[in-house]
Amino acid sequence: MINWSNFIAQCFNGLVLGALLALISSGLTIIYGTLGVLNLAHGAMFMLGGYAGWVAYTYTGSFLVAVAAGALFVMLVGLVTERLIIRHFYARPPEDQLLVTFGLGIVFVETVRFFFGSLSKTVPPPSLLTGITNLGFMVYPTYRLGLLGIVSVALLALYFVLYRTRIGMIVRAGIEDSVMVDSLGINVYRVFMLVFGIGSMAAGFAGIVNAPVVSIAPDVGDAILVQTFVVVVIGGVGSFTGAILGGLIAGEIVSITSMFNPAYSYVMLFIAMTLVLVLRPYGLLGSAGRE
Amino acid sequence: MPTIPRQRPFVVEALTALALLAAPFILPHLGFSPSTINRILIYALVGIGFDLLFGYTGLLSFGQAAFFGTGGMFAGYLLTQTSFTNTIVALILGTLVAGVVGYLVGLLALRRTGIYFAMITVAIAEVFFFVEFNPLSAFTGGENGLPGVPSPNLMLGFKTFTFDSNLSMYFFFAFWYFAGLVIALRIVRSPVGLLLRAIRDNPLRAQALGHDIHGYKLTVFVVAAMYAGFAGGLLGLMQGFMPPDAFMFATSGEIVMQTAIGGAGTLFGPLLGAATWLLLSDFFQTTLHLGATWKLVLGIVFVLLVIFLRRGLAGAIMDLVHLARGKRQGRASPATATPAMPVQPVSVPAASAALPPRHTPLQDKPGPILHTTGLSKHYGGVHANADIDFTVNHGERRGIIGPNGAGKSTFFKMLTCEVLPSSGRIVFEGQDITQLGVADACQLGLTKSYQINQLFERLTVRHNLAIAALGEIRGKFKLDLFRDLRKVPGLDAQVEHTAALVHLAGRLDTPVSELAYGEKRRLEIGLALATSPSLLLLDEPLAGMSPQERVETVALLKSIAVGRTLIVIDHDMDSLFELVERVTVLQEGRVLVEGTADEIKTDPKVQEAYLGGVQGAFA
Amino acid sequence: MTAFDDHDGRKAPAALASQDLSSPAMRPMPFALSRRNALRAGIGIVGATLVPGIGHMGLAYADDKPAIGTWPAGSQGSSVFIGAAVPLTGTYAVQGEDERKGLELAVEHINTNNPLMKALAPKINNGVLGKKVELLVADSAAKPNQAVQAEQTFINQNKVVLMFGSTSSAVAVALNKFAQREKILYMAGISGSNDTTGKDCVRYGFRQGFYGETAANAIGPVLLAQFGKNRKAAFMTPDYTYGHTTTKSVADYLTEKGGWTVVTNQVSPLGTQDFSQYLTNIGNSGAEFLINVNWGRDAVLSTQQAKQFGIIPKMTLVVPYQIPFLAKEVGPDLTAGVFAATDFWWTLEDKYPLAKMFVESFQKKYGYRPEWGAENAYVSLGHWARMVTEAGTFYPPDVIKQFEKGETIPSLLGDVHYRPQDHQLVRPVILVRGKAKKDMKNDEDFWEVIGIVPGDKLMQAPDAFGCKLGDYT
Repeated sequence: MINWSNFIAQCFNGLVLGALLALISSGLTIIYGTLGVLNLAHGAMFMLGGYAGWVAYTYTGSFLVAVAAGALFVMLVGLVTERLIIRHFYARPPEDQLLVTFGLGIVFVETVRFFFGSLSKTVPPPSLLTGITNLGFMVYPTYRLGLLGIVSVALLALYFVLYRTRIGMIVRAGIEDSVMVDSLGINVYRVFMLVFGIGSMAAGFAGIVNAPVVSIAPDVGDAILVQTFVVVVIGGVGSFTGAILGGLIAGEIVSITSMFNPAYSYVMLFIAMTLVLVLRPYGLLGSAGRE
Repeated sequence: MPTIPRQRPFVVEALTALALLAAPFILPHLGFSPSTINRILIYALVGIGFDLLFGYTGLLSFGQAAFFGTGGMFAGYLLTQTSFTNTIVALILGTLVAGVVGYLVGLLALRRTGIYFAMITVAIAEVFFFVEFNPLSAFTGGENGLPGVPSPNLMLGFKTFTFDSNLSMYFFFAFWYFAGLVIALRIVRSPVGLLLRAIRDNPLRAQALGHDIHGYKLTVFVVAAMYAGFAGGLLGLMQGFMPPDAFMFATSGEIVMQTAIGGAGTLFGPLLGAATWLLLSDFFQTTLHLGATWKLVLGIVFVLLVIFLRRGLAGAIMDLVHLARGKRQGRASPATATPAMPVQPVSVPAASAALPPRHTPLQDKPGPILHTTGLSKHYGGVHANADIDFTVNHGERRGIIGPNGAGKSTFFKMLTCEVLPSSGRIVFEGQDITQLGVADACQLGLTKSYQINQLFERLTVRHNLAIAALGEIRGKFKLDLFRDLRKVPGLDAQVEHTAALVHLAGRLDTPVSELAYGEKRRLEIGLALATSPSLLLLDEPLAGMSPQERVETVALLKSIAVGRTLIVIDHDMDSLFELVERVTVLQEGRVLVEGTADEIKTDPKVQEAYLGGVQGAFA
Repeated sequence: MTAFDDHDGRKAPAALASQDLSSPAMRPMPFALSRRNALRAGIGIVGATLVPGIGHMGLAYADDKPAIGTWPAGSQGSSVFIGAAVPLTGTYAVQGEDERKGLELAVEHINTNNPLMKALAPKINNGVLGKKVELLVADSAAKPNQAVQAEQTFINQNKVVLMFGSTSSAVAVALNKFAQREKILYMAGISGSNDTTGKDCVRYGFRQGFYGETAANAIGPVLLAQFGKNRKAAFMTPDYTYGHTTTKSVADYLTEKGGWTVVTNQVSPLGTQDFSQYLTNIGNSGAEFLINVNWGRDAVLSTQQAKQFGIIPKMTLVVPYQIPFLAKEVGPDLTAGVFAATDFWWTLEDKYPLAKMFVESFQKKYGYRPEWGAENAYVSLGHWARMVTEAGTFYPPDVIKQFEKGETIPSLLGDVHYRPQDHQLVRPVILVRGKAKKDMKNDEDFWEVIGIVPGDKLMQAPDAFGCKLGDYT
């Protein structure tokens, strides 16, 4: 017997979680699609966003400033990382790229631990979004509703950048064929740097807007990174729309399974990923060719 | 000369054994605590398996924790939740379970390569973590782990030895580490070990040389899983507690980092890496009281190593040793510097006579060796090849020419089964091979040398040729994990004959990366030749060569053509016409005309095709 | 691997002992001085012949008592070491820090003949048996693996005579078994699982504090008296031994004695951040009571999020196993009127003079009133010091036998005794109810003591949970 009000509420939880995963994953996937680099430090970028925002919040007390600081700081970290390190790895085997980004992730996490300790920090939600909202069919924490809106807007913005601007066209062309973009006389390196920055910013932004829901700690990105992989594998590596679809599917699987037994929700998520791999090896919306 | 030059047998093993015996009396004075030393051995053992997987085969798995945990939990379960008390048998059972699990995971994860493979291993390891944590918590203790694992023992039936002091436990672990190392050394020195390195350097070529690379990858994946499972069991015995942490992503990451810090592809790297890792961790925490800072320091060290010192500490040490030794030898005998390639035309007939193509006593088999009907390939709407009917007879030397984009390479790829035709049939020696894989085609005696060199860059000429020769000698897949590569019957002979044939006999122990371009080109042909093909396809063998080299190579090809069938693509018409008997001209994916060299030269259709194509091809 | 993770890299290390490298106990020990007789395994002979000295190390103490665990090596220097593994990071960090302070204070009092400690252990004399006591602390992060590794290092490097700590019953159970294997005494700190002195009890392990079963039997009658029979409850349970056994004890009491129904039990992993899925299930379950067994930061986050989802105040919150600093972190708004069972609350100083002495000296040193993590740690060390000094030796079997005499001894809450059958202290359980903000007399006056329930009536029969203590040697 299914408790329908619980079902609807859990679907809603899934939507919030899914939107968040979609945002983080889209960052990972556009970086991979354009640069061919799987950034294992992406979870750390999520964490850095939370901390940068927390620092800004501590000094200003403004949630908006915190969000801006979180996003921009992580974008800066992304730009610098690409320029100083990642750039030298385009010609090296993919295993080296994995190793170096994995190492960078550890360095970021441990640097934060060094400066801020392991105890978790909290950023309260903005006063406008505190409390409970009655939606008629259920009550829901206002901030989580707001989070859904904020993340949706961010995804739309990312969509706009990717599909409506010149830089977006270059990025998408680069996903299709980076050699061609190169031969068109576009400075590929500058595009790569920018994409790495934007992709990281997506994770950093997610990190700070999620901070009021859960508290932040240095290792908060680890679990997120793995879930992001699942989303990307389900949606198709390199596909922006795939990341969004994969994120929503992942969020709903986790939430709906937890209706029956929360302990199985992540098991189900990984089983779903396995099924996708067997039935559609390149993901739901991915295409063959990138490996 | 042996295939692996090694003057003193077992010297590595003997030195390791001595070092292991001395370690407990030396290391404590260097600040290693006994439990740290034992822990190093455990992580070094997981690392050996991981090194076989990553360092030797190039498969970067971030999921070793799944097997580490599975093996450990299974052994721990037997020893704490059942009446089972024999620790060694429990360890072995845990290892077997880890191996079975590794096989199943490998089937799934090895469907993909590179980054996808890494992501899948991460995700699958997470499945194990969550499954261990709750659905299986009745067996694994979930968050609690499995406390109360006994100290290691040795049950001989009449007497039971318990290893419960630091020193005795150390020797217990050292024994297993040593056993694990010896097994790994055997594997590395076996034909399979060489093929693993071939897969790392160039998986597609390894496959094209007739090896079932998927089978070997799965093998090494299972082996690595078993190493991890065994070490997991040891961890439980050492701590008296089998922790759920063994399943965590962080554990996989540690294994990767330790191996990379120590140096992948060395087998000793994981030991060095684990020692560095754990010693620094002890030093920072108990001596400097810097808490978690050690991880930051190690993270930075790791990143720097990946950027600058690709082969880790062990690699750096080996480079230093080579440097020192090289200098000494350099002073002693400067004359031994590699001589320039001498052309050895004299030895060629003898060599080729000693290296007959298989399956094909020419005299007995007149008629076609290869026959295609209606062979077509299209990509989307583009027709690369259409409706090709093509026949080559035994012993024939056939040329294929055509303007750029005529579909010559696609045609070759279909013949060698690298690409599945959209329609049509290929019959080779009376057998329909249309649906076969490239490794099977090679096993039947049909292989190709590539237009762009496809060599195993990090290996020597000898190893390159051995990889090719092993395909014929051992077949597609064989698990001779413990056979010495030097003792494979006929291997040395075949390698040396092939080397003589392509004039590389003096360069056998030179790494491919140090060869000159012309030498690499000849090795490329040598690789194909070493498989003893009855039908050899040569895709632009003369590409990029100087006129002098072309003359030599044509002579070389003529000599190797004795007793076998050759199909050659090339743009150098003069050389080609000198080499082949008949020529097939392709244009826009179809056969334009076929005939002897003279017929082709005068054919108006060919003239026309080439006037619109390569200018002055006949000049 | 992070056996000693400090929660703050720049801060002073957790280990309090001055690392005096000239003292024999601190020098790196060659294997030859290993704590147990290496000769037991045949292969050890190699070591014995290779290293001069191992022979007479064994012989010198081979009178009637063979070497066992870290004895006698651990008590040959001028001081003895206690190795504590408490969570300084992670979910239980706040409680672990309180526990650490309790330990620190106890060690200071043992070494200075503080009157309070003298009352608990009369024979201390600026130390125990002529040795100064030194405390070593490592971060366990509430992870058994990290705790076991830390203790293993302490054993090797410092030859600790007592292991302490947990703040997670998973750690307590792991260290129990480890203690039994290594033959070193262990006192569980905060550990609420029935298993610690139940099915996973050991000869070498002791527990001072209250636990799931006693909490359930203490708080059950109050809940039934207050709210009546046949009510509907939702449980939130952390997914490990403490959570499972405590939930079972409380649920059994309420269903059997009061006809309550458990409409849902939401089991979450230790360290869960986002409880939305669990709380959604609870919100739609029709429960009237939210019985939150989560602990540490899990309890803080789940309680706060329950309010965000409107579950509190719709349902009545009950905390069967009280969490130090919960009220401080979530605020009295959420804890007002909440029933809880606990080990200690500082207002008991009005009733017990020793409690008053403890609260005063703790507050003087640390600037706030201690919660029960500190109390539990302090009393545990006091009891250990008492038993060692009464036994007159560090030889572990003798100390264990001293505990097992079951003599009536003092605690901060009156007379208590250890049960020889399962090594559990028979001690009262304190019932409290959260105060509303307006009723608080000072900013730490969060709970009102509503009952002190004697322990003997609350405990199961010694063998009911399957305790088999194991061997002395």
